[in-house]
Order: sequence, then structure tokens, then C-alpha cells
Amino acid sequence: MTASASRAAGRFREDRLPLALALVALLIAALIPVMGATGFAYRTLTSMFLLIVTAQGWNLIGGYTGYASFGNVAFFGLGAYTTAILMDRLGLPFLITLPVAGLIAALYAVLLGLPVLRLRGHYFAIATLGVAEATREVLAWATPITSGASGISLPFLKPIDFAQNYFYYMTLGLVVLVMGLTWFLSRQKLGYSWAALRADEDGAKMLGVNTTSSKVIAFALAAMVTGLAGSFYAYYNSFIAPEEVFNIDRTLQAILASVLGGAGTVAGPVVGGVLFALVNTFLIFGKPFGIDLGQFHVTLLGIFIVLVIVFTPRGVIDLFARSTREAIRAQDSRGQGRLRRLLSPLTGGWRAAAKILAQNVRQFRV
Amino acid sequence: MPVTLIGQSVVNILLLSGVLTIVALGFSIVWGVMNIINLVHGAFIMVGAYVTYWLFVLAGVDPFLSIPISMAVLFAIGYVLQRSVINLVMRAPLLVTFLLTFGLEIIVINLALFFWKSDLRAVTTSYSGSSLSLFPDASGNGIEVPYVKLAVFVVAMVLTLLTHLVMTRTRMGRAIRATGMDKDAAQLTGVKIAQIYAVTFAIGAALAGAAGALIATSQSIQPGFGGSYTLRAFVIVVLGGLGSIPAVILGALVFAAAEVLTGLWQPGLIQAVTFGLLVIVLVVRPSGIAGKAFYQ
Repeated sequence: MTASASRAAGRFREDRLPLALALVALLIAALIPVMGATGFAYRTLTSMFLLIVTAQGWNLIGGYTGYASFGNVAFFGLGAYTTAILMDRLGLPFLITLPVAGLIAALYAVLLGLPVLRLRGHYFAIATLGVAEATREVLAWATPITSGASGISLPFLKPIDFAQNYFYYMTLGLVVLVMGLTWFLSRQKLGYSWAALRADEDGAKMLGVNTTSSKVIAFALAAMVTGLAGSFYAYYNSFIAPEEVFNIDRTLQAILASVLGGAGTVAGPVVGGVLFALVNTFLIFGKPFGIDLGQFHVTLLGIFIVLVIVFTPRGVIDLFARSTREAIRAQDSRGQGRLRRLLSPLTGGWRAAAKILAQNVRQFRV
Repeated sequence: MPVTLIGQSVVNILLLSGVLTIVALGFSIVWGVMNIINLVHGAFIMVGAYVTYWLFVLAGVDPFLSIPISMAVLFAIGYVLQRSVINLVMRAPLLVTFLLTFGLEIIVINLALFFWKSDLRAVTTSYSGSSLSLFPDASGNGIEVPYVKLAVFVVAMVLTLLTHLVMTRTRMGRAIRATGMDKDAAQLTGVKIAQIYAVTFAIGAALAGAAGALIATSQSIQPGFGGSYTLRAFVIVVLGGLGSIPAVILGALVFAAAEVLTGLWQPGLIQAVTFGLLVIVLVVRPSGIAGKAFYQ
């Protein structure tokens, strides 16, 4: 195997394959309703799309800039409440409330980000967590506007068949939009400034990166994306209450989906979101060997989180890419035929993956 | 504001700050020494409260006498958890440890829900509910000091003092502080880091167990009640500043004042006020009111 062929194969894998895979995945997603989907499938997949969007929202701030926000649910809740109030109280159509929700969430993030983004590490994490709790409390307290703890009901979208497809394709479209935005931004000056400040904030500042504006923009974009998801959720669910839309589990699921796929990458939140939704659905409804997992659902989810964090702190895409490369390299060194080389990720990939998992467990231990 | 109300508020703030000191102390030590935000802390408090509850119900042990047992049980749990799981990610970025302890919290709380159900449970002793009345007026209304809360305050202060002595006067305490200051240098002088981390985490868990036992004497418990204490512990540690026991006491006092006074004004906004306070303190004085760079 010559070096140039190996390089060509590498270029093919690294440049074209993700795009091709994304298009295939999109095609399958677009065809699922056409091929006939149950109400259960609609609900599961629509929720999954919203999870992917919130995960990508978290990724923009937590993955790209390295500022681990634990309060993104504040933007989700704010978006949901904006849509609920505008639709229920003012009778505005959903598609007008949607951009307003995104805008208000982004504005809130700017106001919040200016003080809070001066904090680093744990302090930023908990400050955002606290701000989300405080936002929930204030909205629950402002009863004249929000109806407090009793929540707001939104108008239904009818008929139900149309509503199913409407939410399915709209949220899928939002996923595509948010993916495209992230991909585009990650190749702009802004995206490079995020990478720089994630690697070394003081160093980036010294080299002339305006770290404040670049952080605040990332936070505002994250908030906008999350707010849009919240807005969709409110209309989709047709009822919202503070405890529910400000539930910290939403933030954590977004983080987990992002980390599971690979934080700071375009595809990470999508891959992680799909995997998370699969595992979560299995843990709720699965009955392996006649054992009803539903009663242990949250406990098993906790164990899943621990396993993900210990074994693949860089995400499954990284694991997959590294083990594939490792397997091909191993095959190259044995120098057998072209077919074997093509198949090597399948034949040798498992062993390479096991080795990397073992390395992952060792790398951070004391 | 009538004098009695002012006096009552001051008493309430002092009593609350005592138990909150114990709630935050273990959290502060773990954070200061190991740089871990221990989100399991509240779940440990919950388990400590349940140990006290079951000892009281099944064996009739007085809740104050069960404090050492709660502490011992949590010490063991904390040691095993750190040794077997958390030590695996000690060198990882903070998001990793943060998520790991969050996952562990979910596991502990849901196991508790599975075994003990979500019923509210209370430890009601013969002396619960009676209180000392200070400066009663003609109709007998004075500043109420419940005996249980007074005892909790005293125990909390004694435990804080004991922790201080362990951290400063024992070989183990000095090794813990050395590890917190510079783990590589500590390692070079022969300190076994993995062991020290496990003991530190176990001490934090034991203090959480004590906090749980103390809370069980005056509050109904259920598996989810610890989460709010994790957040409180965090705010207290940030308010006071990381790195010393007096800072924790100060933070608990400021936090208790904010909570009691907001409760008088708008009980629905307690978290909004305390976290608002947190953000202001963080922005104005990032190291807290009395914080230091490392654990002392």
C-alpha cells in the first residue's frame, strides 16, 4: 500500500464521508413518516430532534468555547414562555412567536453573559445553574404574566395527522438549520476565535482575539438555538409549567448528548443525541429477558452517564475515528491485500476500540 | 419592625447558619483539596438522614446519638466511591468530574427511591417541638428557641471544631492540605495521592452524613431533598470563599441571613435572591468574601 493511496483514502474518509453520511441520515429521517410511522415513533423522533437542537445549542458555548454552561435550560424555558404568552395572551401565530423566542433568549444571554462569562470553570458552571433556577423562580412568581405554577395552555394544532407531520418536519428542519449554522461558524474567524480561547484564553487575548465579544456571541447563539427549541416544545406539547420547562434534566441531557457524540464538533450533538435517545427509550420501554427496565430507568441512566464519562470522555465519534485509523494502520503494517485493508475497520476495529477504551480509563486516573 | 421579630430573625439566622456550616463544610473541603464540585453531596446528606431515621424507627436510637453512625456509614461509602470510580477521572477536565458526580447522584437518589419510596418521613422524638422562650412579654410571646435546633447548633459547632483539629493537628490532615496545595510536590514527599483523595472525599461524605442526621431532627425527609442542599453548599462556599473553615462559617452566616430575610419578604424568591447574591459576589470579588487560593 503506497503512501499516496493511503493519503487519498484518508482524504476521502475525512472530507466526504461525514457529508455523505449526513445526507443519507437526512434522507432516512425525511422518509420515515412516508414509510408509515406510529404515533410513538413520531413522538420519540420529534423529541429526539429537539434534544439534538438543545445539544447543539450547548455545544456552541460548552463545546466550542469550553465554557461549560449548566444553565442552558433557562433559554429553553424563556423561549417556551415567550411563545406560550404571545400565542395564548395575544393570539399571535406560532411562526411569528418563534423568532421572537429565539431573539429574547439571545438578548437574555447577552445581558447575563457580560457578567457571568467573566467567571471560569466551576464558577461559571454553577453561576449559570443558579441563574437558571432563579429565572424559573422569577417566572413562577410573576403570576399575572405567567399564571405561575399552574402553567399556560397553548392552542392545539389540528388535525392530529397534520400536526404530527408538521412538528416532525419542522423540528427536523431546525436540526438541519442549526447543524448548518454550526458547520458554517466553525469555519469562520469567529469559530477559530472560539477554538483559540478554549485552548488558552489568556493566550488568545494576547494575540488580539476579542475574547469577550467572541464568548458573548457564542453564548447568545447557544441561547437562541436553545430558545427556538423551547418555543417548538411549547407549541408541540401545548402546555407548559415552570417546573417542567426549567427542569435541569434538560440541560444535562443536552450536555450528555453533546459529550457522548463529541463536544466541540459539528456532528457530535447529532450522533450523541441519536444514541442518547436510543438508550433512553430502551431504558424506559425495554424488556430484555422479561425484566421491565422502566422502574430502574433513571438509575440505569445514571450508570450510563458514569460509563460514558469514564470510558469515552471525548465522545464516540472520536473513538470510532481513532479505532478505524488504528485498525487500518495495523493492517498496513502487515501489508496484505487491498480488500483486507478496506475490511480492516470491521475485522480489527473492535480490538483497536477496546485498546482505546482501556487507554481512556487510564488517562485521567491518579 | 417589632423588637421581638428582629430578635427572632437574628436567632433564626444564627440557628440556620449552624446547620448550614456542616452542610457546606464537607463540600468545601472536597472542592478545595480535589477541585471537584461534588454533586453527590446532597445525596450523601439524604443517606445520612435516612440512616438516622431507620436507626430511630427500628432500634429506637436517639437521632443525636446516631450522628457518629451516620458519619461512619457515609465515610465508608465516600471512600469506596472515590477509590473505585472518581479517582479514574481526577486528571480530567472539570466537565468530566462534574458530570460523573451528577451521574452518581442520580444513581444514589434513585436507589433510595426504589428501596425507601418517596414518602415523607420524620424523626419525632419526645423533645421535638418544645422550645425555650426568651424575653417573654405580658402575653407570654417571646423569642422562640427550639431546643432541638439549639442542640443542632451546638453539635454543628463542635463538629466544625473537630474538623479543624483533624485538618491542622493530625498527620493525615496535614497530608490532605499538602495535597490540596500542590499534589505533585506532596507526591514527591511520599504522600499517596490516590489514598489521600479517597480519605478527603470520605471526610466530606462523613460531614454530609452528620448534616443529614442533624437535618433529620427538624425536617421531614424524602429521597430527593438533598439536591437543594448541594446548591446551598455551593452558594455558601462561594460567598465565604474557598479555602478555609472560617470562610465556610462566614458564608453560612451570610447565606442564612439572605434566606431568612428574603423569607420574611417574598418566600417565592429565596433562590433568586441567593443566586443573585452569588453572581454579584463572584463578579465583584471572585475569591469570595474571605477566600484563599488553596485549602489551609
